[in-house]
Amino acid sequence: MTSSTYDPDGGLFSYFRNLLGGREMRILILGLDGAGKTTILYKLQVGEVVTTIPTIGFNVEQVTYKNLKFQVWDLGGQTSIRPYWRCYYSNTDAIIYVVDSADKDRIGISKDELLYMLREEELQGAILVVLANKQDMDGCMSVTEVYQALGLDALKNRTFQIFKTSAKKGEGLEEAMDWLSNALTSRK
Amino acid sequence: MTDSKYFTTTKKGEIFELKSELNSDKKEKKREAVKKVIASMTVGKDVSALFPDVVNCMQTDNLELKKLVYLYLMNYAKSHPDMAIMAVNTFVKDCEDTNPLIRALAVRTMGCIRVDKITEYLCEPLRKCLKDEDPYVRKTAAVCVAKLYDINAQLVEDQGFLDQLKELLSDSNPMVVANTVAALSEMNESSPSGSPLIEMNAQTINKLLTALNECTEWGQVFILDSLANYSPKNEREAQSICERITPRLAHANAAVVLSAVKVLIKFMEMLSSETDFVSTLTKKLAPPLVTLLSSEPEVQYVALRNINLIVQKRPDILKHEMKVFFVKYNDPIYVKLEKLDIMIRLASQANIAQVLSELKEYATEVDVDFVRKAVRAIGRCAIKVEQSAERCVSTLLDLIQTKVNYVVQEAIVVIKDIFRKYPNKYESIISTLCENLDTLDEPEARASMIWIIGEYAERIDNADELLESFLEGFHDENTQVQLQLLTAIVKLFLKRPSDTQELVQQVLSLATQDSDNPDLRDRGFIYWRLLSTDPAAAKEVVLAEKPLISEETDLLEPTLLDELICHISSLASVYHKPPTTFVEGRAGLRKSLPAKTEPTPQPSASVIPAQDSLIGDLLSMDLNAPPTYNPPSATPPVVDLLATGLDNLLGNDAPVSSTTTGLLGDIFGIAPVVTGYIAPKQMWLPADKGKGLELWGTFSRKNGQISMDFTFHNKAMQPMMDFAIQLNKNSFGLTPAKPLLVTPLQPRLSQEVSLPLATTGAIQRMEPLTNLQVALKNNIDVFYFATIVPMHVYFVEDGQMDKRLFLQTWKDIPAQNEVQYILSNVQCNTETVVQKMQQNNVFTIAKRNVEGQDMLYQSIKLTNGIWILNELKISPGSPNITLSLKSVSLDIAPGVCQSYDAILHS
Repeated sequence: MTSSTYDPDGGLFSYFRNLLGGREMRILILGLDGAGKTTILYKLQVGEVVTTIPTIGFNVEQVTYKNLKFQVWDLGGQTSIRPYWRCYYSNTDAIIYVVDSADKDRIGISKDELLYMLREEELQGAILVVLANKQDMDGCMSVTEVYQALGLDALKNRTFQIFKTSAKKGEGLEEAMDWLSNALTSRK
Repeated sequence: MTDSKYFTTTKKGEIFELKSELNSDKKEKKREAVKKVIASMTVGKDVSALFPDVVNCMQTDNLELKKLVYLYLMNYAKSHPDMAIMAVNTFVKDCEDTNPLIRALAVRTMGCIRVDKITEYLCEPLRKCLKDEDPYVRKTAAVCVAKLYDINAQLVEDQGFLDQLKELLSDSNPMVVANTVAALSEMNESSPSGSPLIEMNAQTINKLLTALNECTEWGQVFILDSLANYSPKNEREAQSICERITPRLAHANAAVVLSAVKVLIKFMEMLSSETDFVSTLTKKLAPPLVTLLSSEPEVQYVALRNINLIVQKRPDILKHEMKVFFVKYNDPIYVKLEKLDIMIRLASQANIAQVLSELKEYATEVDVDFVRKAVRAIGRCAIKVEQSAERCVSTLLDLIQTKVNYVVQEAIVVIKDIFRKYPNKYESIISTLCENLDTLDEPEARASMIWIIGEYAERIDNADELLESFLEGFHDENTQVQLQLLTAIVKLFLKRPSDTQELVQQVLSLATQDSDNPDLRDRGFIYWRLLSTDPAAAKEVVLAEKPLISEETDLLEPTLLDELICHISSLASVYHKPPTTFVEGRAGLRKSLPAKTEPTPQPSASVIPAQDSLIGDLLSMDLNAPPTYNPPSATPPVVDLLATGLDNLLGNDAPVSSTTTGLLGDIFGIAPVVTGYIAPKQMWLPADKGKGLELWGTFSRKNGQISMDFTFHNKAMQPMMDFAIQLNKNSFGLTPAKPLLVTPLQPRLSQEVSLPLATTGAIQRMEPLTNLQVALKNNIDVFYFATIVPMHVYFVEDGQMDKRLFLQTWKDIPAQNEVQYILSNVQCNTETVVQKMQQNNVFTIAKRNVEGQDMLYQSIKLTNGIWILNELKISPGSPNITLSLKSVSLDIAPGVCQSYDAILHS
């Protein structure tokens, strides 16, 4: 047996890991209330748009995407629940941060929450995907505007990407998930 | 390095290990970890630090794991009230799970989590579960409403859960009905106003009675207990409920039997005791009670405590069952003592021989407590059954001959009572008693013996020596004995003054100078002064005729007994104490037996419970300032005698008008007579709530004037004066037309007062419409009570509608404004109905006969100008009258119907 088999960074190992499904990736879906987190979760899991009610607490589902298994946690975005996000940070592989592109009033709050979260030590290694959601709404901010408003250009030392999506129409999610799977498999 | 390192979270130890296991990817490991957590929790270790990690395991397909997490939540949600919010979404999801077990589990757990912050989120899932297709979920949800009510009563009312529960009372599944009933009774008990949240009506009762036969024994107990709180409208309803409950007496479960007994005994109060039904029921009640005595001793004891109450309330039920209360040698002592008590209560001339021979037997047993009680029982029999006294006394003498110390002492105590009860009959035995003087070492027995010596000093030659012998150790005696000794020696002195002067001096000085006991000193001084000032008066005082002792000194006080009867089959009936004395924190409405009612339902006046809002309202009224009265400016419409008189003459169908009598009265100079129906006076304020003032009253309408008629009873020790009254804003604007005039009321006297009322006051809608809140002030306090004003006092004299107008109005009022009532059990023919209603300003406009039934059309006008149109259908020979009522304002309909009912039954 060659030493490369034992090398966790080696291509051979990651090849096997992908083939067998490997360890479940832990993903958090975060964002302000009403951004569309729960809708995205179920769109990913069952491929349909389900009717949702405000999530007071959390949803957790297994999502398989292109042979990768994810354990996806969708946490409620209400002000009263945000303080408990941190209870879910440990061992997180990636964060999907959902922004309501039509909610210009609260984009500032959304930015603050994002930056506050990214400062957490437990999340230093986590990959970030920002979804500028609700692109189907009239008069919503464009993906560039969201990028600016969240101050993503100032983001250092972080693997991240922003996508424009419409969970309702199912647009943009695939691209985001493709990018995320690639980023996760090629990590390290 | 600083010491802060000691405060950082430990990365080692059990909690840390469990934490990492809970966050493990492997389901098996996770489940094992939760199990470990629960195990630690149950043995009392604090694992609350794992709260977030356990909550994160909540969303799982594994039922076992879910149950464990729920268990954890119930225990620790309170210690993490903020974090508990993270569990809400899972509850919401689980309440919509496809598995009914999970839905029920979720709704049950939600009810157990007593955290204010999340209760509001639980309302929606709960609402859904109350309508669930699965009865098990509905049943669990019903119970959850009661739990929620305990956390936030207002929320339950605002969210309409009460209405949903009301619907569940008619559920098709008996288990659901039973649990709803249980939930409701629990809520009623903690309801702040003390009044039931959902009024049971005949229909719901019918539903409960149907469910009763089909549900589990727990459900049956719930339903029966709730039936016990219902007051049937009349004797007939009470009887029919009794009939349907009677089969429960044959149930194998003791709790079901006792609850059924409770309902039956309670409702029997409403039935006339002479009927066959009551005597059959009385016979039917005995066997189930007897059967209870063949169960294990603990159940027997509970049954016996309840039977003890039943025997006091209705001795007839078990009068032939004396034998089952005979003590068995292997009964535990608590059962023995209780049986003995019941034996005495059942003792009568018919069975006394049997009882006595049993008791004599018991007096020779080995258990000291039991023997003592048996000896006392013989004495009580002597007092209770006069014919047996002689036999009892001779039995007691036999027992004294045994010379068993405690038997002798008990015998002497009871013989003292027998002497009191039958004076000058058995004194011949005193010599026998005196022989045992030395053996008496218990205070009660010594005191009794001393009393006997003093009382019969003239017949005991050596009374002085005997008493003197007691005097030696005076200071070592029990107070009871000391007091007895003092009195006995004074008696002796008054009877034989010549040779006992020294003795009396001695005891007086012992009692007054050498004793620290104030009672003893005071009694000593009184005797001393009496003797030194007026020996004749002393004789009259000390040797006064004594009142006979009552036969049943050990009976419970009747009001307490009635209350305890309402609590049969509960802890209260075992303790023989009302629940308020041992259950903390519950204001608890005191229950009372239903009164024998008239056939018509009388809206009973209730003393206002402590309702903040209400008291606030009333307090804001200035009671001390001289009340200003609205002058009756808008006097009730004066009857136009001539006009109606003419109508009478001209109108074909117009009935005899009540004004005719008024007219004739005027002509013949007869004083105006009261024509309307006046309900019997009701107690508005009981003496215990009115600080001695007992208030009865009713409302009447005399000559176009509403009046409030009071009877004031002063049951206090001081005179009452400065009466004033105010009425709270009410639906019809009732207000005093004159000040209340009550002359100062001396103790024990009563006074009848009439207060004229006008309808010009402030108007505020009350619930029910006829409710009236009253504040009454006198020199002692201000009292608040609420009462119901019967609707018919608002019927005005010019309420006769033109025939055509009536027809038109009847058509104009839409059909949804019509309600129908059945007036049952009316013993009137059509003419008397017309006449009776006419006297109360209900005017018959027309009369028809359709297919043998009489149809009456009647009109009423209220003081506030609202018209009410009625159609009465009277079938000859049938006691039921159908009343169809039409009015633009239907709120008044129930009140009008009640008035019809009351007037036609008057």
